[in-house]
Amino acid sequence: MESTLTSDTFLTLPAAPAPFTQLRRTLAADVLKLRRTAALRLTLVSGALPVLLTFCIFFFKGYIILKAGGTPWPRFISTAWQTAGTLLLPLFVVLLTSLVVHIETKATAWKHLYAQPVGRGAVFGSKLLLILVLNAVALLLFAGLVLGAGVLLGVLKPKLGFQTYSIPLPAVAWMLLRTYVATLGLLAVQYIVSLYWRSFVVPVGVGMGAVVSVIALMQWEHANKIPYAAPFFTAVSMKMGKGSLEVAHALAKHEWYSLGWFAGVLVVGYLLLYRRNVTN
Amino acid sequence: MSTTPLLETRSLSFRFGKRPILHDVNLLVEPGSIYGFLGPNGAGKSTTMRLLLGLLRPAAGSVHLFGHNLAQHRVALLNRVGALIENPSLYDHLTGRENVEATRRLRGVAASRTAEVLALVGLSDNAHRPAREYSLGMRQRLGLAIALLSDPDLLLLDEPTNGLDPNGIIEMRELLRELREQHGKTIVVSSHLIGEIEKVATHVGVIQLGSLVFQGSLRELQQLQTGRARLVLETASADTCRNLLPRLLTDAVATAPGTLWLQWVSNQHTAEVAAALVAAGQPLYGLRLEQPSLEDTFLHLTEAKPELVK
Repeated sequence: MESTLTSDTFLTLPAAPAPFTQLRRTLAADVLKLRRTAALRLTLVSGALPVLLTFCIFFFKGYIILKAGGTPWPRFISTAWQTAGTLLLPLFVVLLTSLVVHIETKATAWKHLYAQPVGRGAVFGSKLLLILVLNAVALLLFAGLVLGAGVLLGVLKPKLGFQTYSIPLPAVAWMLLRTYVATLGLLAVQYIVSLYWRSFVVPVGVGMGAVVSVIALMQWEHANKIPYAAPFFTAVSMKMGKGSLEVAHALAKHEWYSLGWFAGVLVVGYLLLYRRNVTN
Repeated sequence: MSTTPLLETRSLSFRFGKRPILHDVNLLVEPGSIYGFLGPNGAGKSTTMRLLLGLLRPAAGSVHLFGHNLAQHRVALLNRVGALIENPSLYDHLTGRENVEATRRLRGVAASRTAEVLALVGLSDNAHRPAREYSLGMRQRLGLAIALLSDPDLLLLDEPTNGLDPNGIIEMRELLRELREQHGKTIVVSSHLIGEIEKVATHVGVIQLGSLVFQGSLRELQQLQTGRARLVLETASADTCRNLLPRLLTDAVATAPGTLWLQWVSNQHTAEVAAALVAAGQPLYGLRLEQPSLEDTFLHLTEAKPELVK
């Protein structure tokens, strides 16, 4: 048949975009898809709940809790951190990863995404980066809210003494870093589970089940090796010294385990997902 | 054929677990054609489309686009392919424009293309509305806009008229024709409706139970159909006629006491049958040529069992 495209033009192999370009483009698209999603709202407001609880406790009962005098900050920060870290933080990570991955599943967009000129590595890396950033944003917002709530208590309840003592910023910074590291292991597990099953129910079910099981297993000598327990161990690792908050300026053992889980699960998960058929 | 096919599959096979889905499919799509990929539901059309995009890994065989192996150059080759697979993948929480924009960013296409493709499918006025408010036809058109974003040389459209009203179907047909004639696109369009394909396709492939049962130009398919034309003869007693004229009517099939079907051969043969019948003193109430429609041919090709009349 006659053809206008028989020249070399259609036979030359088009250039594939460089790996970094693919990742950048995928990330730009992923950020756009985040608009008006539950994942974004969850990130922005989730930190408020533990802070609100702690604020109320100190607002109404602070005079009992702090009757020893001295700086109220260590007690306030550790209460807020333990409220958040034991249960809410792992659940937040479970929900966040599931929601971000579900954006594609709900739109039946995996088939579309993998038919675009970006590699599977770019798709995998972009969403992972997005979840890591959202997780960091949520933690930073939480820390900011904790300190803000303390300052507010200083104004509303000057007797508690929040305004007279300085904020233990280095301790807070270390807690932030260590808590972030502690969430990475379970984040990776949840990410792979979400990608593997491509439903919303399975990863949320697995995650909630794991978080609840960990509470029961807390006394086990190997509990520190479970990624879902790491945020808890970090939250309770804070010690109240003589009028100060003592936070180790190094990663604890369970945090190293969390990093190990993160690296190991991502590598194994990626290999598992890489060659898979796209059926939905 | 001297030209390299734009799309080619070589002995393509696929199975889900142990269940075979496709068997030894050799598609050949020439540049500048509209290739109608026909088959009943479940014949393997969508599976083939997914294999053409590298979404599924073949059990055997290979896919070649623009003369290159897809398995080796997937990302590079997909740069020149636009696709719409089954129902369009739309993010309901985003507006129509944002949906296009998401894929535009992903492909690194110029920002001006978003407005262009929205205008091309007639969605400019509704681009600000969330996709969840779109009708089925609008969703289909938005999916097509997204497939056209990168101005691809090859378009793969899986049942693109699904959910469209008659007007929408005509518009889609005109759009496909325009894309081929004015923009030199090659289009593979799948459907389970022959009527839809015959109006727009230049070439046709028919798939049945995972095997390609016909491939060729639309004209070749039409010739296949004239070869299957039959003569319908109305008389008093079909059996009497057959006994009287064994030479002419030996292959004829009596479908009713007074009706005979026989294969159409030529005009002379038809005249001979009529003359012989009258000479034998049998009444001739009617004699007509029945041309099976393209639809009959399609059904014939996709029927698992042999037909009643050969």
